[in-house]
Amino acid sequence: MIHVAESYLGARLKALRRAQNPDGGWAYFPGKRSWLEPTVYAALALAGEPAADRAWSLLQGWQGADGSWRPSRDVAIENFGTALCVTLALSQNRSGGGVNKAVNWLLGTAGTESSWMNRLVTRTGIVELDRDLSLKGWPWKPGTSSWVEPTAHALVALKKVLALKKAAKLAPRAEMLETLRERVRMGEAQLLDVRCTDGGWNYGNRSVRKVDLPAYPETTGIALVGLQGHSGLGPSLDYAAREAAQTRSPLGRAWLTIALRLHDASVPSPSSSSTTPPPDLQILALEALAAPEGNFKAFETPVVSEGVRG
Amino acid sequence: MNLKRRDFVPIAAAGLFASYAGVESWRKNARRLPGTSAVAIVKAAAYSDDLASRMLEGIRACGLDVKGQRVLLKPNLVEFDSATCINTDVSVVAAAYEVFKSLGASEVLIGEGPGHRRDTYAIAEMARYRGELSGFDDLFVDLNRDDVSPVEGFADRGRIYLPNTALRADLIVSLAKMKTHHWAGTTLSMKNYFGLVPGSVYGWPKNELHLVGIPTSIVELTRLFPRSFAIVDGIVGMEGNGPIQGTPKPVGVLVMGRDLPAVDATCCRIMGIDPGKIEYLQMADDQNLGHVDESRVEQRGEPIAAVRTNFQLIPAFHSLRLA
Repeated sequence: MIHVAESYLGARLKALRRAQNPDGGWAYFPGKRSWLEPTVYAALALAGEPAADRAWSLLQGWQGADGSWRPSRDVAIENFGTALCVTLALSQNRSGGGVNKAVNWLLGTAGTESSWMNRLVTRTGIVELDRDLSLKGWPWKPGTSSWVEPTAHALVALKKVLALKKAAKLAPRAEMLETLRERVRMGEAQLLDVRCTDGGWNYGNRSVRKVDLPAYPETTGIALVGLQGHSGLGPSLDYAAREAAQTRSPLGRAWLTIALRLHDASVPSPSSSSTTPPPDLQILALEALAAPEGNFKAFETPVVSEGVRG
Repeated sequence: MNLKRRDFVPIAAAGLFASYAGVESWRKNARRLPGTSAVAIVKAAAYSDDLASRMLEGIRACGLDVKGQRVLLKPNLVEFDSATCINTDVSVVAAAYEVFKSLGASEVLIGEGPGHRRDTYAIAEMARYRGELSGFDDLFVDLNRDDVSPVEGFADRGRIYLPNTALRADLIVSLAKMKTHHWAGTTLSMKNYFGLVPGSVYGWPKNELHLVGIPTSIVELTRLFPRSFAIVDGIVGMEGNGPIQGTPKPVGVLVMGRDLPAVDATCCRIMGIDPGKIEYLQMADDQNLGHVDESRVEQRGEPIAAVRTNFQLIPAFHSLRLA
């Protein structure tokens, strides 16, 4: 009997299928309760399989009347994962009231730093912020400031919606289309505004008390996914290629690989010897998505950026 | 001396203020936490020392009994930079694991939820936790992504979600690092509890805590976890622009106790910082969460004077210097 080695992707998809909870979702770690984030990434990795449909059925029950998603069954808080659910829904060709409500929630949600009061206080010079408060991004949860990761995910979701609207699948109203374009433009500008001096991104502060902060691999990858189609990303892509080869963070490597593939850049082989993978289902799903034959294109937003700028 | 009627106004106002201040002071003293708190300072010159023995000495000096208890060790694992010393050293975590097992704890787990980085296991690997703590993956809980439950009564927010592993622990051991902090002044055993707040709910960073107010959040988290013990890694601390970009500061001590404000106040005195000027310690004192006043802290082991070494402070915090 000949044993054929299981592929990198095949092994990860198999492990994901096995780790699906009976409710249709995935936990961050085996044996725990389902959460939105790992459920969306696993469903994207297993696109087209019944497991992904079961995941969507679970997630539908977590959407609130206002269109937002909660991060898990146990947590009654509106959450950035709403953007991930829009991305998942559109990648599964789902549309309808729930998706429209979620898009409206995203359009109506912004980081509190861009409030008129904060802008006024900053103008007085009482508070010094290394950030342009005229720009609007997205928070992890309403009532807090905007940060890199939720902003990048919202950009992916809204750019996908814009692409769909171009194909007249969601019957756009002209004023909504304008708001969509404006939020995408502002969100992209905010990401660029908080880029670190080394070319990458951390959670969203390029400096503290006028001292530069370094970028992280995972947030750099996510920001680059949100900025697809943007020009002037050379230093960031250089940072991404360098870090993809040397980072010891599997999460960072997965996001950087997805970003480099979506930017049509070459993906370097990891230079460090791989360590024992942690028991982390979110990373497992992202590694599956990042594989050469993986479903990384679920995050693709190709034509829209040109449209937004045009 | 001839006093005119208009002279009476400021005199009366001053008198009223003095009376008010006197009454407030009397009220504060009347409701002050009774008794004293034991805080142990033990010397440990290097991470290669027999830290378990030194730790045991300090724990016994504080009279802690953990027999049959579920213990959660909460190190300060934040980011990794080989040029400095951001995190609680792995030797301190290993020693604490060994000590609490030997003292008869029914379960000893290690948990942390970093505030900026999402890949907790990668940071644990870079900080040598995964390589040097045997069976680390089975002992460790990423508190950012643990299952959670709601807890009522957190500052003006009311409800806060907290990790089940922390909520079910009989004792949380704050294995903090002795560091300066560019917003709070210092980060010690109380500030270390920011890592108990789950990123999966509040994000990276946990911006909600900043909006509530850093000192208020520190105090509220300390209040929500009264079953605590602190062991501060001051073998090599961090001075200057802490908690991430400061420089290593060898102090050669472990500071321990059940009263977290008392432990942190003692650490401040060792660092040459006036605990009376650290806002969260003043709030903790006002709310009777612990003893901050030096006369109420029963120092065991080494005296503060024998180990005090002034930490460098960023210009914004020069006024914190202890006389």
